[in-house]
Amino acid sequence: MKLGLSRACFYSSCSASIFSSSIPSLTTIKPKIPLFLRPPTYSVASSDLQKWHGWAKSLASSVGSSFVESDDGPDSTLLCRELNWLLEDSLENRSSSSCFSFAACNYDSLDGIENVMLRISLDDLYQLWKQRIEERRPFQYIVGCEHWRDLVLSVQEGVLIPRPETELIVDLVSDAVSNNEELGQGLWADVGTGSGAIAIGISKISRSYGRVIATDLSPVAVSVAMFNVQRYGLQHVTEVRQGYWFEPLKDVEGQLVGIVSNPPYIPSDNISGLQAEVGRHEPRLALDGGASGIDYLLHLCSGAAAMLKPGGFFAFETNGEKQCKFLVDYMQNDIAGSFCNLNIVSDFAGIQRFVTGFRQ
Amino acid sequence: MAVSAHSLLKSMLLLRLPITTNTIVPPRVSRPSSSPLNLISCHYLNASNRTKSRHFHSPTLYTRTAETPKKHLICFNYNTSASHGKGTNYLELTDDELMRQCEMDTFKASGPGGQHRNKRESAVRLKHLPTGIIAQAVEDRSQHMNRASALKRLRALLAIRVRNSLDIDSYSPPLELLQILPLKSTIRGSDCGPQIGPKNPKFILGMQALLDLIFAVDGSISEAGKLLGLSTGALSRLILSDDSLRMAVNDLRNSKGLKPLR
Ligand SMILES: C[S@@+](CC[C@H](N)C(=O)[O-])C[C@H]1O[C@@H](n2cnc3c(N)ncnc32)[C@H](O)[C@@H]1O
Repeated sequence: MKLGLSRACFYSSCSASIFSSSIPSLTTIKPKIPLFLRPPTYSVASSDLQKWHGWAKSLASSVGSSFVESDDGPDSTLLCRELNWLLEDSLENRSSSSCFSFAACNYDSLDGIENVMLRISLDDLYQLWKQRIEERRPFQYIVGCEHWRDLVLSVQEGVLIPRPETELIVDLVSDAVSNNEELGQGLWADVGTGSGAIAIGISKISRSYGRVIATDLSPVAVSVAMFNVQRYGLQHVTEVRQGYWFEPLKDVEGQLVGIVSNPPYIPSDNISGLQAEVGRHEPRLALDGGASGIDYLLHLCSGAAAMLKPGGFFAFETNGEKQCKFLVDYMQNDIAGSFCNLNIVSDFAGIQRFVTGFRQ
Repeated sequence: MAVSAHSLLKSMLLLRLPITTNTIVPPRVSRPSSSPLNLISCHYLNASNRTKSRHFHSPTLYTRTAETPKKHLICFNYNTSASHGKGTNYLELTDDELMRQCEMDTFKASGPGGQHRNKRESAVRLKHLPTGIIAQAVEDRSQHMNRASALKRLRALLAIRVRNSLDIDSYSPPLELLQILPLKSTIRGSDCGPQIGPKNPKFILGMQALLDLIFAVDGSISEAGKLLGLSTGALSRLILSDDSLRMAVNDLRNSKGLKPLR
């Protein structure tokens, strides 16, 4: 906890000086437009595109299982699947069937002279796929988006790529709301919102009268989250604020009906061993949870006690069984009397992943 | 999320029927890679396969069902009638209801997952507990969408693998079968509407009824054609219009020593 405190001071001083020259201010951070939303202005001979595709495929195949062996990274099967998705996002006509007929190596059927319209230049396609394989740049940063639940969220360097496990938080909220109408009509917070994934997911389900405030310390995350909120036309229900955890929410203390968060929870020592896509490219601010990984989760638990209305709901994602148990123990003993109906929920891989409960 | 009381009741009643007439058709050993179903693996709950299919605690929503009484009822019912049930009825269940009969897991549980990993766990495997049929999806870009694809495949597999016996002497084709027949069928009334093709989700229901019939006549297309008011050629063309239907029919014909349709 001591460590947590000193980190707290460090980051709050950061956030205080956020508009100073050392850190770009919000207005200067323009979110990048994901590939699939760019205009299809590049006319390319389909034979040239085929050449690129063949090259990219053999590059992917050459990886074999070497990444799997070195750091449990992607194998060539997954890389080839990503290659199809890259094609899908680049082509003007993004119906996947047209990509698949293209990718199916059925080149004879395609007229070699015919041109296709792309959203990106061929040179850039070569460049990007090289980065994917040689630098292990995450696929989602290359195409600038991630498909998450039924959403397509814009992401870019500086923002965590939302994980499939986290999709379940939305289902947990949906369950809680369907059992208690009041929850669907109140004010929610997603703290450490990153791309805005959870906030947007729950805004869509509590569509009736609820509102969601999403916070993040990272200016890039805040601007990307705003972009995503706008793309889904949710500005009227989802507000994005910048700052340190609950600090930007002082005005609504004790008024929240729900808090969700997927805070950084990886123990600092584990960061260097992460798969290259994660460790080398995703923001450390989004991953590093301090020595044991649990600093922020503990901070959020005590914060939630002050922020939530009686009867309010929370769901936090954790690193797994150990952190889940630790949190439950902390809430039952160290801050006994604050929360009830604590529950540990597993993800679809069977790992105890989430802690949920209610403000007493 | 809300399931109407009516449909709940209906599904409970259906599941409770003591049915002894259906069989599950063994899966093919291999599929040509041109098959649209080639991403599906199917196997049964028998001793040898059980070791292959990984068994996680069915996590989250679908095990926590006991919290809400509605869902609990369904679970209870399905538990008491596990491995029985009628194929058609599975297909009549809503997605939510069908999902509740399934155990879902993702593929890779090695390592801690979550923030540690990029991708891969978006692949989904559904095991339909009453029949042991497994459907999976890996090619969609989110777990949510893979789940929807896997569910769609599960429906196709249920149609293909779960057989209901029928009485040929008093046979009259159900509406969902009439609807997939070409208009020239002599028994197809004009009230059946336009022909439903393989792309329509309703096709699966008709396909299941057609397979029931073809199984009942031991794979004879001319026999089945007579009962449907179609020439052998016209019925063959219908069967060939859908890959999974064609393969299911040819598997049967193969097992009866008949030549495959092509
Ligand atoms: C693991 S990421 C989760 C992002 C997003 N909620 C998701 O699930 O994809 C953690 C997020 O917390 C943010 N964060 C880290 N420290 C923070 C702090 N002190 N206050 C607010 N947000 C913080 C990071 O910028 C990052 O976006």
